[in-house]
Amino acid sequence: MEEKHKLLKKITDEMNGASALLAGMAASESDDMWSLATMTGILADYWQKIYDAYQNEQPVAFTNFGIPTELFYAMDIMPIVVDVLAANAAQYGLAHTYNDIASEKVPEYLCSNNTILLGALLAGDVALPDIMVHPANPCDSNMGTYPVFSEYFKYPYFMIDMPYTTTEKSIPYVVNEFKRLIVLLEEKTGRKLDYDRLREAMAYSNIVHDNVLKLGKLREAVPSPYSSMEVMAEIGIVMCTSGTKGAADYFQKRHDIIKENVENKKGHLASDEEKLRVVWIYGAPTFDMGIYEWSEKEHGALLVSQMNNNYVMKPVKDISDIDHILAGLAEKLTLMPMTRECGGPWENYLDNSIDLLRRYKADVGIFGGNVGCKSNWAIAKLVKDKIQEELGIPILNVELDLFDDRIASSDTIKGQLGDFFSMVKNNKGV
Amino acid sequence: MHALDALKTISGNLVNPYIEEWKGEGKKVVGFFCSYVPEEILYAADILPVRVRAPGCKDTASADVYFSHHNCSFMRSCLEYALEGKYEFLDGIVFTNSCDHVRRVYDTLRETCEDKFPFLEFISVPHKTSEQSISFYKDELIEFQKRAEIFSGKKAGDEGLQKAIDVYNDTRSLLKKVYELRTGSTPCLTGEDSLNVILGGLSMPKEKYNELLERLLLETGKTEGLSDYSARLMVSGSGGCEDPEYFKTIEDLGGLIVTDTLCFGSRYFWKPVEINGDLMNSLAVSYMNRPSCASMGDRVVERNDYIMKMAEAFHVDGVIYERMRYCDLWGGQILQLRKKLQEAEIPLLELEREYIFGAAGQLKTRVQAFLERLGR
Repeated sequence: MEEKHKLLKKITDEMNGASALLAGMAASESDDMWSLATMTGILADYWQKIYDAYQNEQPVAFTNFGIPTELFYAMDIMPIVVDVLAANAAQYGLAHTYNDIASEKVPEYLCSNNTILLGALLAGDVALPDIMVHPANPCDSNMGTYPVFSEYFKYPYFMIDMPYTTTEKSIPYVVNEFKRLIVLLEEKTGRKLDYDRLREAMAYSNIVHDNVLKLGKLREAVPSPYSSMEVMAEIGIVMCTSGTKGAADYFQKRHDIIKENVENKKGHLASDEEKLRVVWIYGAPTFDMGIYEWSEKEHGALLVSQMNNNYVMKPVKDISDIDHILAGLAEKLTLMPMTRECGGPWENYLDNSIDLLRRYKADVGIFGGNVGCKSNWAIAKLVKDKIQEELGIPILNVELDLFDDRIASSDTIKGQLGDFFSMVKNNKGV
Repeated sequence: MHALDALKTISGNLVNPYIEEWKGEGKKVVGFFCSYVPEEILYAADILPVRVRAPGCKDTASADVYFSHHNCSFMRSCLEYALEGKYEFLDGIVFTNSCDHVRRVYDTLRETCEDKFPFLEFISVPHKTSEQSISFYKDELIEFQKRAEIFSGKKAGDEGLQKAIDVYNDTRSLLKKVYELRTGSTPCLTGEDSLNVILGGLSMPKEKYNELLERLLLETGKTEGLSDYSARLMVSGSGGCEDPEYFKTIEDLGGLIVTDTLCFGSRYFWKPVEINGDLMNSLAVSYMNRPSCASMGDRVVERNDYIMKMAEAFHVDGVIYERMRYCDLWGGQILQLRKKLQEAEIPLLELEREYIFGAAGQLKTRVQAFLERLGR
């Protein structure tokens, strides 16, 4: 039994250790060590609950990012966001192992996000779920693997189909998909959807999204109140724990702190140290968070935003009945970063990238071209040219794997970033 | 000229006399990328649907400016031809969201050469088969029909659409008969021939094509079947695998391709459009239930069952699974298919390829070894 949870155990232990270490280093709540310690603690607790769920035979669902966790918490089903599982496995040095195992069965050019999961399943390091749920968007790699995994390992599966273009039909279409999903979840897990619990989860989720929106606005400030690491790390909390009290409390408190810092013009870096405001318009690597810290320290290049934490969905106003809640969740899924940018026409991606670069007053943009993301590699040139034409902001395209450093190592990436940052600073005379 | 020779000539070229004649009558010719585009709708509107391919493409220098080497070379080759102006005989192109690469070709063409194609269209195809998805797809088709009719200036009406469905169903029925010529121990056609037959029909009016197919059935019926082969093979795999030369290379080594489950093969015609009341609904139901593409997430079981049934019906000794490099959809399918074939004790050869046929030596080595493994 323990063997089947090797990966979960590893992640939980690592996170608990990191959380304690960071907490010990935090001088105060306004210190970024506090936020990192708290976020790591929330995620450690999340993984622990999944581990416990397996032990206690509580239903567990594999979910792909964008699938609203609120629904699962309301049904007492623990959602494993497989993208965060892959990212955490990568952070703890397991990407090579799992990708190598998977490559014996499927082509190596599938996204590592999918192959890390496959490798972990084949290795028996993750136990099978009671069901897997994922949306039709954003990419072929998901569509080519998740339904096949479910057939291969024999666990139930549900795909939330989504119209390619967002029109007035999209939300009702996705709402109906959610209704079918609820029926299937009830059938496969034996858990009934408790509407009071769903309303409670939505209330927590609304606090999260209300504060995430406000924080997104506050982060536009110069100097930026966030560290690069914080910009990277908060995504995991939104993805995995929306609908829980822990996430709501964190974002509420976080907002109060950041608001005060912005009012006092207190940035993560002092104004004169913030040399370059950086936006990763695509695919920031997850296997080495040190890359962002290095960018700050070596080049004063501060990550002020990135595509994956560009949350623009509003709280769901009306949570009095299931139809309004599902419409809100459908809108949330449709607007999910990356699902929104990569799942439809290229204008979705271009417009959001331009908006992000403009709002965050970026000096440079980085296109982290994950080799598994074929759809975005196909428009990388068009996007770069359009941004240059419209905003005059230089974009660096870096070829990498988000999870596996064998395509581009940390040093390779730092080398490319370093040259780029130096050139831009030189041109700007900073 | 024998029907087979006529079809071979057509399949190797982008433009053919049938297209020229059609255009000469002042009618439109529109390309389409995916077999989830119901050609019947275009045909009924007096538009000739032509499946977009890039036969003879030698390099993708212009396309590589936009697409990266992580993108499918079939789509890169088609983009190359579009950018080079080789599709200027087309008045438009119809796209779907059947894969990430094709939808980005649509985006790139809109940005780079929209003026060349007055009818650049997109149909949103669902990724699952359900009551809701069929209804959505039907609505998409209704809107598409309206735009096609405005573009062509001809309103088809139910009568026109019914006629087009009948013509296309005749094609499906005739092609099935052509495939049945290969079920026995002495097939009358090679895999290469058979692929040429399919490809020829993708760029000519189906009524004329049906006449050629009828002739082909008569002519091949009189020929002696093939018996000097070492193994009966089936080819499965991804879209874009449509090069007769590739099949020829395999067959030159002694194997005979007796069937396939390709988008440019049996999946294109295997199931007819079944009329059940409303015509557009019938089209939507039939297309969503045809032997599926890997972009249909909920149909893994159906997909593998189709492959297994075809293998059984055509008495295959082994399966060759060829896929375009960087095709995620078909790349993932192999996980479960390999298991199914192993359970059925059907040997499998997995080949990865690029659209522009190169590395023939490597292909020969792999196929040779496979044939030896089959004991043939």
